[in-house]
Amino acid sequence: MGFWSFLIIFCFISFYVYWYSSTKALKFNANIKNGSKLPSLPSYYGTYSFFWLILPIFLILVTWFFFKPFFLDILLIKKIPSDFLTTFEGNPDMLVDTIKATNPEKFFPGTNPVIIESAKYFQNLKIISDSYVYIGTLLLGLIFSTFSLRKISVAFRARQAVEKTNVNLLILCSTIAIITTIGIIFSLIFEALRFFEKVPIFDFLLGITWSPQTAIREDQVASEGLFGAIPIFTGTLLITLIAMAVAIPIGLLSAIYLSEYAKPKIRATIKPILEILAGVPTVVYGFFAAITVGPFLKEIALFFGFSIASESALAAGGVMGIMIIPFISSLSDDVMSAVPQSMRDGSYAVGATKSETIKQVVLPAALPGVVAAILLAVSRAIGETMIVVMAAGISANLTMNPFESVTTVTVQIVTLLVGDQEFDSAKTLAAFALGITLFFLTLFLNLIALKIVRKYREKYE
Amino acid sequence: MEKTKIESKKISVFYGDKKALSGISLDIPEKRVTSLIGPSGCGKSTFLRCLNRMNDTIDICRIEGKILVDGEDIYDRKLDPVLLRARIGMVFQKPNPFPKSIFDNVAYGPKIHGLTNSKDELSELVESSLKKAGLFNEVKDRLNEPGTSLSGGQQQRLCIARAIAVSPEVILMDEPCSALDPIATAVIEELIDEISKNFTIVIVTHSMQQAARVSNQTAFFHMGNLIEVGKTDEVFSMPKEKKTQDYITGKIG
Ligand SMILES: Nc1ncnc2c1ncn2[C@@H]1O[C@H](COP(=O)(O)OP(=O)(O)O)[C@@H](O)[C@H]1O
Ligand SMILES: [Mg+2]
Repeated sequence: MGFWSFLIIFCFISFYVYWYSSTKALKFNANIKNGSKLPSLPSYYGTYSFFWLILPIFLILVTWFFFKPFFLDILLIKKIPSDFLTTFEGNPDMLVDTIKATNPEKFFPGTNPVIIESAKYFQNLKIISDSYVYIGTLLLGLIFSTFSLRKISVAFRARQAVEKTNVNLLILCSTIAIITTIGIIFSLIFEALRFFEKVPIFDFLLGITWSPQTAIREDQVASEGLFGAIPIFTGTLLITLIAMAVAIPIGLLSAIYLSEYAKPKIRATIKPILEILAGVPTVVYGFFAAITVGPFLKEIALFFGFSIASESALAAGGVMGIMIIPFISSLSDDVMSAVPQSMRDGSYAVGATKSETIKQVVLPAALPGVVAAILLAVSRAIGETMIVVMAAGISANLTMNPFESVTTVTVQIVTLLVGDQEFDSAKTLAAFALGITLFFLTLFLNLIALKIVRKYREKYE
Repeated sequence: MEKTKIESKKISVFYGDKKALSGISLDIPEKRVTSLIGPSGCGKSTFLRCLNRMNDTIDICRIEGKILVDGEDIYDRKLDPVLLRARIGMVFQKPNPFPKSIFDNVAYGPKIHGLTNSKDELSELVESSLKKAGLFNEVKDRLNEPGTSLSGGQQQRLCIARAIAVSPEVILMDEPCSALDPIATAVIEELIDEISKNFTIVIVTHSMQQAARVSNQTAFFHMGNLIEVGKTDEVFSMPKEKKTQDYITGKIG
């Protein structure tokens, strides 16, 4: 049984189980002449039985797909003749990989027949084992849901049971998100720890020279790279600052215009147009920055008699600022529009002008939301890679001069990881160290902002 | 004879194409309480909001006619509605303290208009406004707490203090007690009685008992028309119009 036929049968059975169970509940009620009926609506009994069908199926399938590779590997190794296994040069894992990668219909001429045989066996095994599992889970689900039918009685409150299951499902989903996050953090930490075995942590955090060019071969000269991360983090800081210097004023002011001054029709037109800015692929911004803005800045600088590189932090940061305007304007507009009209009325009624009202009543009331919007924009700016690669270069200069070329953390992560490198060289591992540092940095930023917002809330709400 | 503070002359109001008030002419005496009664939707709030040009903030709202305050046309082009609103304060149906501290709520108006020259003067003004609103003793130890932490009745008195703080000549109140319990309502009614010595008050109310208790003059509105206006006791004891009679006895409402 393939996956699609399984899915079709599963849908069919689901409908049947639901229908059967709710009909049974209906009949149950109909048979009661006097006395209390079922405590929940029939559909809840249907849903309850459906849960008993889908939950075992779901759990078993997830477990199966998780363990399938290991399980199949074990079967495969058992199948390979042991004398062949011992004569094979290299370790058994490589043999298993070779077999898996071999197509028994279209193999290279001269492939060892044992391998072809095993490959055939393996392909078959994959299909057959899937079918067994599909059939098995369906049967199991049916058994469970049949048992659940026996619970239809006056004593059983299906509505509450369904409610409880719903809550558990929701908890399960959020747990998945949390576990994934934790997994990411741990994998980052472990790789970063391997990096810190090669490069001392203080050299990394406090060093001011970044040149990660390690030798590919041991005998090359200059095989020691320098991994001082400070220039990269100052580069990130500089570009983020420039981007925010562009995005915060423009974003906030347009939010104020949209929520307080624009007529509904104009607002309905302008807001989506602004939001398009966020939807443009960042490569497009990248070449706009590199091809138009960078040279333009250079021309202007030449006009005033000094020369700058066409790759500059200013070009990248400025264009990035444009890109994140809608993050600030759209969210701030939403929170400002959510400030009740009665607040504004109260302010007008003591003789305040519109701008006074906005400054002193609307903005303070909307501040937590505005701060959240700015934060979102900052994290977007820190994470942005493409524009920086294209418009600010990849050289790690330790500078706060916006006219110089700088690089950012994410750009370096990318440049470290592309290319032919051993995966355990200091150069590649440095990417993880950068990643985890960036992670803690943004976490720290978020915590501070959360504190600010909390404090403000306590004061005003 | 009482001095007339506000004279409205043939005021008609339109929301878009819909006529909400037609030709209201009503005189409001100085330092007295005038109450506006009538079934809901009859235009009481609309009329009240004409008196301090709050309707200007509604785009589709259009007004015809004249309103004179101390003989001066408030819809004159040269007149700044912002300044007018400092002279004619307003208290709303639902208490709407700002999300600021109790002190800052009251200090808001004076700060905007620069009414005080020093911090001490400002806190004196806040204190005296809170006292006039009968709230000071309840909040004197927690002036820095948010205004929203007060009870509904206290919030409404805070809003009255906020209006009083800019020393207006007139205070408009739009059903100020409709969101409050009977005890808080009684406190506010007493307060209205108290402050009417110094302010001209126009109050919209849906409670005829309240109108009878607090006001000197009562105006009855019905479907955008002013049906009857007169001394409160006369309107309630011997109404001239049949409609007023019906409303008072509960036949329409
Ligand atoms: N902002 C507005 N936009 C459109 N129509 C309104 C608006 N405010 C009030 N109206 C209409 O004007 C009429 C009078 O309303 P209102 O003055 O609020 O009555 P009241 O305060 O006596 O209950 C009602 O029919 C109402 O639907
Ligand atoms: Mg009203």
